[in-house]
Amino acid sequence: MGVITEEAREWAQREYPSYTMAVGRTDIQKYAHAIGESDPVYFDADAARAEGYADIVAPPFFPYVIRMHAAHVVGRDRLEPDGSASADVPPLPTTRAMAGEITIDLGEQVVAGDEITVAKRIVDMYEKEGRSGTLVFVTQEFTFTNQRGELVARERFTRIYR
Amino acid sequence: MTPGTEIPVVTRTPDAIDLFTFSASSWLIHRIHYDVPFTTEHDGHPGLLVHGPLQGAYMVQAVHRWLGRKARLRTITYRHLAPAYLGDALDCGGTVTEVEGSRIAMELWIRKGDTVTTTGTATFEVAE
Repeated sequence: MGVITEEAREWAQREYPSYTMAVGRTDIQKYAHAIGESDPVYFDADAARAEGYADIVAPPFFPYVIRMHAAHVVGRDRLEPDGSASADVPPLPTTRAMAGEITIDLGEQVVAGDEITVAKRIVDMYEKEGRSGTLVFVTQEFTFTNQRGELVARERFTRIYR
Repeated sequence: MTPGTEIPVVTRTPDAIDLFTFSASSWLIHRIHYDVPFTTEHDGHPGLLVHGPLQGAYMVQAVHRWLGRKARLRTITYRHLAPAYLGDALDCGGTVTEVEGSRIAMELWIRKGDTVTTTGTATFEVAE
């Protein structure tokens, strides 16, 4: 017997507001510093231009930074007590959530000065019988585009509820 | 380079500064990455957790350290099998699975000792 109700299927059709981040040099520098990079193209505009880029280059996982800002730069009342972004939990008779698979496809390079818009939607919801009961898989998709409308990245992130 | 070629292992041991700067630069506010009493007493972990996307970045960097940054990541799929904690030495490695023109497919992993914390597959494109 399935646990995904009509209510949950309607929930999955919800629309989320998009978020635009004006990506500054400092944003990229701080992230590159955090992951232990020392390559000048992540820190120095002249070094990046010498390689043909318009400005400082963002490391491959930088779109994650953009969607974290989208989720967390919100009213404090919308953060959970553990500091995480509002849980966004489907109306299901489940109590625990786990992180599942993440897929990121990369397109155009992000450079400082870009304005990157991220749009979020639920693209998949299905259930499977697990050893400890029914598991519900919900896949969120984040699409990142730049100010020219070019695809920068597409990320699919599956959460598993039980 | 042929299928079966192994990526040289890079060991990363993220410390408190790495966890802080990663949370701060991502504006990731989840307390399990910086609030020790919350993480151990409330959430029952033995210590602060290393962020999943920081491990993702480490996997890509292991490839860049080997092939250079111009090996551009095109696609990556990964998942976490076990938590990584502050103080864990994380071995980042992998194996080439397919080479087709300028595209190289790989399996990537992060291990602490014998435990795999993160596993995935990725395709990189190497400039001609």
